[in-house]
Amino acid sequence: MYSEKVIDHYKNPRNVGSMPKNDPEVGTGMVGAPECGDVMRLQIKVNPETQVIEDAKFKTFGCGSAIASSSLATEWVKGKTIEDALQIKNTDIVRELSLPPVKIHCSVLAEDAIKAAIGDWKSRHSESASEPQASAASPKAE
Amino acid sequence: MADDYFAFFGLPEKLTIDADDLERRYLGLSWKLHPDNFVNAEEFERNLSLERSSQLNDAYRTLRDPVARVEYLLARKGVRKEGQTKQQAPPELLEEVFELNESLEELQMARESGGDGNEMKALRDRLQAAGKSFEEKLAEVDEELTAVCAEWDAAIDANADEAKRSTLMARMNEILNRRSYIRNLVSNVSRELEESATA
Repeated sequence: MYSEKVIDHYKNPRNVGSMPKNDPEVGTGMVGAPECGDVMRLQIKVNPETQVIEDAKFKTFGCGSAIASSSLATEWVKGKTIEDALQIKNTDIVRELSLPPVKIHCSVLAEDAIKAAIGDWKSRHSESASEPQASAASPKAE
Repeated sequence: MADDYFAFFGLPEKLTIDADDLERRYLGLSWKLHPDNFVNAEEFERNLSLERSSQLNDAYRTLRDPVARVEYLLARKGVRKEGQTKQQAPPELLEEVFELNESLEELQMARESGGDGNEMKALRDRLQAAGKSFEEKLAEVDEELTAVCAEWDAAIDANADEAKRSTLMARMNEILNRRSYIRNLVSNVSRELEESATA
């Protein structure tokens, strides 16, 4: 039931691994699909000057399609600016990997993971620019 | 009628179901629908009895299980569509799920590469502790689910409006999401612990 491309990514996943979560240049996206119990972590390292994603890593616990979708996602985001990476759609992943309808949620997960990682990176970088520091030590903000 | 399991058994759409009562209804209906009662009947009647018998078994299997029952209700109401509506689990849980999966993987790898006894033992102990905490979480989630089910039943009795029902169903859905994660992990952990014990 798996396409050759899925099998290839599954057997030789690209960019498996992790980056330090607290590195200010790293954005981490952690998403999950409760229906199948999959959990996916995608991390990006972004150059703050150029906004280019210089490196990406993932780790996914799930089925072959989930692993292939996230592996492909890391390949695609590398070298893109964060704005361009946000244009990646799950349907692109479905097409590239020829995912069957029952596995479409895996591609949705990968798209969500990209968005979550970029969102995480942005939240660290807009903090210093716009909002005043909401440091962990300060008492309740409300 | 047969596409509504509750109505099939002559039950209201409530989630607290007495197992003995359900079994009695099931046995009564299986007797009525049994193909043996239709040997001399018209062909369409015979087919219908067969069809209904298999629906009855599905219905019984679903309503007998307190969790499958809730899943069924939510699917029927369009709240929970497999693979369609996007389900999300809370981020803290995702983190824990991820970490537990990592310890699970470490132990699997150690076992496959024939890791030394001490290392295996340390990994097993850690996994066992983590697995235990997830079992406790599963029990908590089940309690939560039981509580919402009771609220749902009260809402049905009070003929509550759609808004109230939707809120309750959304809560059940959220609980089921967490539950499926936790349940999968608990079973993966116990499987791995068994396998690494015999390795």
